[in-house]
Amino acid sequence: MTAMLDTVLVALILSNFVLLGSSRLSSCIRTAALQGIMAGLLPLATAGAGLSLRIVALGLAVVALKGFVFPHLLNRALRESATSREVQPFVGYTPSLLAGLLALAASFWLDGRLALPTHSASSILVPVSFSLMFTGIFLLVARRTAVNQVLGYIVLENGIYAFSLAVVRDIPFLVELGVLMDMFVAVFVMGIAIYRINSEFDHIDSDRLSTLKG
Amino acid sequence: MAQAWILIPAILILPALLAVAGMLSRSARAALGICAAGTVATGALMAALAALVPHGGAVTVPGGWLRVDSLSALHLVVMAIVFCLGALQAPGYFRHGIADGSFDRRTARRYAGLWFGSLAAMAAVLLSNNLGLMWVGIEATTLLTAFLICVTTTPGSLEAMWKYLLMCSVGVALAFTGTLLVAASAGRTGIHGTEALLWTSLAASARGLDVQLVKAGFVFIVIGYGTKAGLAPMHNWLPDAHSQAPAPVSAVFSGFLLNAALYCILRCLPVAEAATGDAGWARGILVAAGLVSILTAAAFVVVQRDLKRLLAYSSLEHIGIVTLGAGIGGVGAFAAMYHMVLHSIAKSTAFTGAGRLIEIFGGNDMKRIRGSLSAAPLWGTCLLVSLLALVGTAPFGLFFSEFMMLRAAFGAGSYAVGAAFLAGLSIVFIGVLRHAIPMAWAPGEKPANPHAPGIVEWLIVALPLAAILLSGLWMPSFVREAFAAAASVTGVLP
Repeated sequence: MTAMLDTVLVALILSNFVLLGSSRLSSCIRTAALQGIMAGLLPLATAGAGLSLRIVALGLAVVALKGFVFPHLLNRALRESATSREVQPFVGYTPSLLAGLLALAASFWLDGRLALPTHSASSILVPVSFSLMFTGIFLLVARRTAVNQVLGYIVLENGIYAFSLAVVRDIPFLVELGVLMDMFVAVFVMGIAIYRINSEFDHIDSDRLSTLKG
Repeated sequence: MAQAWILIPAILILPALLAVAGMLSRSARAALGICAAGTVATGALMAALAALVPHGGAVTVPGGWLRVDSLSALHLVVMAIVFCLGALQAPGYFRHGIADGSFDRRTARRYAGLWFGSLAAMAAVLLSNNLGLMWVGIEATTLLTAFLICVTTTPGSLEAMWKYLLMCSVGVALAFTGTLLVAASAGRTGIHGTEALLWTSLAASARGLDVQLVKAGFVFIVIGYGTKAGLAPMHNWLPDAHSQAPAPVSAVFSGFLLNAALYCILRCLPVAEAATGDAGWARGILVAAGLVSILTAAAFVVVQRDLKRLLAYSSLEHIGIVTLGAGIGGVGAFAAMYHMVLHSIAKSTAFTGAGRLIEIFGGNDMKRIRGSLSAAPLWGTCLLVSLLALVGTAPFGLFFSEFMMLRAAFGAGSYAVGAAFLAGLSIVFIGVLRHAIPMAWAPGEKPANPHAPGIVEWLIVALPLAAILLSGLWMPSFVREAFAAAASVTGVLP
């Protein structure tokens, strides 16, 4: 089980770098979907022998939501707009990759400092979750298009999800469901917002939404 | 009363049913009518529940997930008042929209559904004892209220909505990380599983929590919920959202949405404080956050030209004041509760007046609003008096709460904090009055004859303003006890 878990975790890190380095929005959406599916599989891998129906149901819900529903919503928003790639991000792609490396190093350093109650299944679960969170926040601030910012939010959420698996054993089912539902509605609402922004402004560059100041 | 807990699920279910009723209403006018009547009914339930909570005690639903203590009871009352003021002013505010077709049946149905949805979500925040559930409630309010900002779609409202949605979602996601860290800190105390997220069990065994994790968790919680509460420097969404939303929604945003997020921080304060050995570590963070917010607001109030943005920055200032008071603790915490209640009432009333004056004078620019006292006596008086109350003019209650807080700061030996607080207050005082006086008295073009206000409109202006004035002159003992009980939940009174 540990080998499989570690494979998934390393794949999660790699997907971060793909997201940081690619400019085509449709491939970013696809990568984020893949990352969502892997995040959904994490609880199955960490559970080991204690696999229960609850864990399976939750894992499947996450896979369905992050792997299929979100990409569908975002792809639809993307089709409506004429944008297909992030032309001029605030931070270029090479510096972004370097930032990703730094974030990864910082995650391992932070993990060493914090001395969290680590999960027995894998020692790198916590640092990987940190690196997902950092990458998510980085995408949020370093990209211009609204779609990429939503992806940043999803990556951040993936990180928090992995983190919750690592540090809190049994989060009540109701709370997990609530969190998942909120997340669904959040992406749904953001999708509608992108759609409306696009029809009102003819672009989805959120940095050009800048008339309100002071 | 043993069965008082029945009211708790009732408060959550009633708005959900009303949301459905609102979405099925036959006309825009009917939808707003349902909003008004339903909000008053829910508000009455909330007030009844709050009255049943014994001071220092709590009403708990079997199972322990839902619970109301003195702190949440006080917030419930504020929430009921603010939502009622918002709902009762809506029919008048949207009158023109209904007449010219921009606020049609579809929009009104959506508005009613979202209105009751936000009401239920905010009530869930206050009623839940489970920190996870509380988080779910806060995130749900973000999403539901996002669409209330752009009830009528304009480029400005879309921009504000996007900023609000993204900043608050990310902020609140960080707050969830904080919640997880706090839950993880309970690992050694023997409480785990479902229990580790219950506020009561965390508070009971706070001294056994892992100090490092609680500290990390509390920082995340302050940053996360602080974004939603509009604490500087995470406040950027606040003036945009407040200025672009319709006035009844702005009233709820300023009057209660911010408080609900701050409430979550106040919930975690006693846990963090006890876990770190009552050394004032957590309180120090709140004092700093409060002061930064007050001073930021002071800087921006001075340069404002837009009336609703002015009110939004004033909210930033007042949220800062409440945070500062809670951080000082003791008498400061008492003053913070007092201040929180009065600010919510005064700010909702100010938005009522501002909304109408903006409609009458045709723009948010304060330079256009001139001589409002003679042009529209009720709304002009409403805005002027509530602004006077908000800047802390005697004898309004806010003067006394600010004065108490100042004394608490000096009494605790924090002279620098007191001085900075006083400086911030003075700047805001001058900055706001500089605009308020010409808006009320300066001669200007007389606008077209405004619609004569009805009896409900007289009441929603006169009652809150009278209450704020009265609270400065005389505070009944049950009110004093309610403030003291709520303050003691956030920490022991020295």
